[in-house]
Amino acid sequence: MSRLYFVYGLIVIGIMGTAQYRGWRLMPVTEGRTVPKSVRDNPGSYRPVYGGFWHFSGGK
Amino acid sequence: MPDGKGRSRVAVQAVNCPNCGATTAVRTFGHAVNVVCQSCHSILDAKDPGVTILQKFKKAMVVEPLIPLGTRGTIPGVSHPFEAVGFQVRQISVDGVAYQWREYLLFNPYHGFRYITEYGGHWNVVATLRSLPDGDHMPGNSGIRTYQGQHYRHFQSATATTVFVLGEFPWQVRVGDQAVVVDYVAPPRLLSAEVTADKEVNWSLGQYTKWTDIWTGLSVPGQPPVVEGVFANQPSPYQGVSGRMWRQAALLMLLAAIVWVVHLATARQQQAFRQALVYNPRSTQDASLVTPVFELDGRATAVEVETASNLANQWMDVGYALINNDTGQTFEFAQGLSAYKGVEDGEAWTEGSPVGSVTLPSVPAGRYFLRVEPEAERSGKPVSYTVTVVRDVATPVWFLGALILIALPPLMTSFRAAKFEGRRWQESDHATGKSSDDKKDDDDE
Repeated sequence: MSRLYFVYGLIVIGIMGTAQYRGWRLMPVTEGRTVPKSVRDNPGSYRPVYGGFWHFSGGK
Repeated sequence: MPDGKGRSRVAVQAVNCPNCGATTAVRTFGHAVNVVCQSCHSILDAKDPGVTILQKFKKAMVVEPLIPLGTRGTIPGVSHPFEAVGFQVRQISVDGVAYQWREYLLFNPYHGFRYITEYGGHWNVVATLRSLPDGDHMPGNSGIRTYQGQHYRHFQSATATTVFVLGEFPWQVRVGDQAVVVDYVAPPRLLSAEVTADKEVNWSLGQYTKWTDIWTGLSVPGQPPVVEGVFANQPSPYQGVSGRMWRQAALLMLLAAIVWVVHLATARQQQAFRQALVYNPRSTQDASLVTPVFELDGRATAVEVETASNLANQWMDVGYALINNDTGQTFEFAQGLSAYKGVEDGEAWTEGSPVGSVTLPSVPAGRYFLRVEPEAERSGKPVSYTVTVVRDVATPVWFLGALILIALPPLMTSFRAAKFEGRRWQESDHATGKSSDDKKDDDDE
């Protein structure tokens, strides 16, 4: 059991090292959309896909 | 009775029961003090040539021993063959509930007697002690007793009553006999003391034994009873395992820390872009803008985009798109910021932060620009904010995650080990949640 655990621990460290090296993150980011260069000329024409936010609006 | 050469002399080899006339074999020769008629279960005096009846069997209960009397074979820990000669059922009563266990008496003419006990499918091979444990010869109701350097913890004290007997015994035995039984445990061993009514003390040492070893050694027919619960001296399957796992966990955590330190040392954390911006929420003009093109070089690594503002009692959202200037590949993300402070009942408070950051995973090398779209409350004040892009950032998230994943299995094993021990001690006088009155009642049984 403890040998199996040690192998498991090594796999965890391996994944950790790879994730750190590759710069993986747990939070997903919307990726892959191809935007034409013309967006530089008219930034307002771009429509993002992200949703809204929750806002703390002050007061205790 | 021994003869002049020290050998046991055969006193009786078979007795005829004066109650029912049946013949009962006597296997322990001169050792037998009482013999129980296997037909009518009357207890007979084996030392009396007239074989007087000491006790007639009255109860309707007849218990068939799982190890039939006359069974011969080896028992774990002893290489010599033994023969099952006696059987008794004893019980204790705790909180009005009767708990019964079975004791088998085994005999070898040269090596004397051994006992096999069974309770709830748990088996012990027991031998009487040739020397006393350290300290008082009388057992106590608590504390620790030491025998041959091994410490035994007090488990239970109770009054045991003999409720059924069969076969022959080298002592006076009667149904209804009572003795105070005090158990101390050091799994897989069980140190027991029996104190009779006339204060005679007998110490014995039991060894927890797998039923398969008993079944194999004695060629016992049939199946043993189903194992119930955790027995007093049952070895924990987690014994030593959690300790080994924690030692391995320490090593693995050290390895993870080394990998993390190497990552910290090699992460470039290079600032690729920085720009100060101002956003006026009251302006009716389109607030979206694009930054100049900047270079993200090297291999695909994480990119951190930090937004640092001068927000004060205000919120702001910034929608970002990191766009590859050559391919058009886009990474979309957003940063919500809010920073509030005030004084309430004379106490200053703050909420939120004017600074935040988002980390993008595995961004390939290339020339990029940011499309920025701030948003805030229409009536809000103008906000100054700085956008900083850092290439190849180190984050402790994976290291912390690895620490948690490494610690989880030994934690679970320790929890299970503690649960196993909890179940063991729940049956003892020292169970958690057992009141002192309960313990007293048990002791008085």
